[in-house]
Amino acid sequence: MNKILLAALFLFAPIVTLGQDSRPVPLTFKDIQGRYVRLSDYRGKVVLVNFWATWCPPCRAEIPDLIRLQREYGSRGLQVIGVTYPPQKLAEVRRFVQEAKVNYPIGLGTNQTKLLFTKNEELPITIVIGTDGRIRDIIVGILLPEEFEQKIKPLLK
Amino acid sequence: MKSKTLVITIAMFLMIAFAAIGALADTKKSTIRIDGMKCSKCSGSVEKALKATAGVEKVEMSLDRKEAVVEYDDAKVTEAKLREVINGTGFKAVEEKSGSQ
Repeated sequence: MNKILLAALFLFAPIVTLGQDSRPVPLTFKDIQGRYVRLSDYRGKVVLVNFWATWCPPCRAEIPDLIRLQREYGSRGLQVIGVTYPPQKLAEVRRFVQEAKVNYPIGLGTNQTKLLFTKNEELPITIVIGTDGRIRDIIVGILLPEEFEQKIKPLLK
Repeated sequence: MKSKTLVITIAMFLMIAFAAIGALADTKKSTIRIDGMKCSKCSGSVEKALKATAGVEKVEMSLDRKEAVVEYDDAKVTEAKLREVINGTGFKAVEEKSGSQ
């Protein structure tokens, strides 16, 4: 019986360990204003890395909510970072960001940028990074209010 | 003995009444056509938002037909609310081509 238990522990341990020991993601990019953004600069904050595209209707629909969350919860340690994926024209992204009055940094992403976090191809996709710089959750699709309440709000100050 | 019979009769009556109310609150099925649903990468948000809506029991999305087939408890949610949820995801629920059973 003990041997079976030990074998089960041995089999499942790597899976559990993977989830807990995921190292901070080394994301660095130039935002649309030409400034360098490093994920490590936001250590101590809860960061939402939101992958989006201007042609994606749900991505556009959730941007006003992300702007509101940044405004309302910024003082409680929330930082939203938008990364366009797949790659888009800078002028097009700039125009959209200006019109939507986005209040958080936006960068142009590549396949490599997204692969730092996930292989999932759906859009939008939001990566929740804890104050320690590690991935806490991956929210596929539009961020629902109940997801914010359950998965993100408890991480804030 | 008489009071026991009365209790049993009332209990049976209540059971039948609740069953009748339950049958009235049937599951409804609506087919809602969605405008602009072209990208396979982003249509998952519609399904996600619909499934998170109270009263929605089943959602089937078809990117080819650009429609969502939704089964729901019409005592808890209306078709108008489902359209509102779809519109909230950035797509447009088409009014005229919808149907419910």
